Amino acid sequence: MKYSLQKISHDQAGFEALVGLWAETKDCLFDDIDIDMGGTTWFDADMCAALGAILYRLGKKLNMITLKNVHPDVGKVLSKNGFLSHYGREKIPDTWKTTIPYQRFDVKDDRYFAGYMETELIQRLEMPVMSPGLLKKFRESIFEIFSNAVLHSQTEQGIFSCGQFFPKKHRLDFSVTDLGIGIRQKIKESVGLDLAPEKAIVWATEERNTTKCGEIPGGLGLKLLGEFIDLNGGRIQIVSDAGYWRREQGKSVTALLQQPFPGTVVSVEINTADTRSYLLSSELSEADIF
Amino acid sequence: MNNNLVLSIFEIVGSPLCVASSDGQKVYDRLATVLNEGRGVTLSFHNISTLTSAFLNAAIGQLYCKFSEAKIRSLLKVQDMEPDDLGLLKRVIETAKLYFKDPQKFERAVQETLGDGEHGA
Repeated sequence: MKYSLQKISHDQAGFEALVGLWAETKDCLFDDIDIDMGGTTWFDADMCAALGAILYRLGKKLNMITLKNVHPDVGKVLSKNGFLSHYGREKIPDTWKTTIPYQRFDVKDDRYFAGYMETELIQRLEMPVMSPGLLKKFRESIFEIFSNAVLHSQTEQGIFSCGQFFPKKHRLDFSVTDLGIGIRQKIKESVGLDLAPEKAIVWATEERNTTKCGEIPGGLGLKLLGEFIDLNGGRIQIVSDAGYWRREQGKSVTALLQQPFPGTVVSVEINTADTRSYLLSSELSEADIF
Repeated sequence: MNNNLVLSIFEIVGSPLCVASSDGQKVYDRLATVLNEGRGVTLSFHNISTLTSAFLNAAIGQLYCKFSEAKIRSLLKVQDMEPDDLGLLKRVIETAKLYFKDPQKFERAVQETLGDGEHGA
């Protein structure tokens, strides 16, 4: 099997390209899959989380994956963040320290993920200077995404993450991908609703809608994330099954991708120049919280 | 016998990062034991830097499944919380109250979702 991968941007078109790859290769078993990246003249580094998840799934089916003709500029970034180390290349030093390494986690790796976040993001000297309030909200948001994947995806194949700073643009991109059952199927199994893929994402992002059953309530994580992104002036994208959902500047857009993704991707863009304090002057009292 | 039990979340979780539902469950297990005994307890958030709704749902939200609102209000207290963390906890609690009181919530959610015309294609 040979497949030619095109430009992978951090947007709907980039996700379309990745689901196209998955559609062409998903039935491969014990196959040699050669992915020609000669035409991949741009690759937004956080999208390694989504591509890595697809390739991991193909590897689980004992396919031999080779990335060929990697464009030098793309190869440099994907070697710095450690992605290409999974496919036969050496990791190279990240001189400007703008990458957040590509990493795969198991669902029980909450603490390992927390350590990765602290080491690779929060405590790095190269991290853009953010207000304490923004840093706290950012940290919480990333953990909400990871917790969401752990709680809802039912994945046995792991959770993948990767990110990139853009110091001059005051932007930080970060993506988390799981290879779980996807939002649509989860809602169908847990709540009995058979929604279109993009409608399922809308449902999951609204407050108090939850697929959690039993004694532990849920239904806040993605809503909180959306609220933070609205205030921050950033952007959030979610891909699950063939659903695509994007929120920026307080507005949501949905679309149906041409092919399904084998799991769920949550991708955020953070505006690191945001000076909002985020520290609430809450009227709530500890005495009457319950 | 200690009637003013203070439980340190930092001591239970062993980290300032309270993000995992499984860690929240450890807090819940201790709280549930105390409330079952009808004793008062204060939950201290001292030295906690990061909280998620997943953690708080497991640690505190699920108390509303087993105990009445009145019982929780009379026996459980929190201390050392930042104002924005208190805001998050309040939302978790309000969501939990609805979750356990309103069995028709999913049906309404369906109608709201399917009738929502604000989302473009």
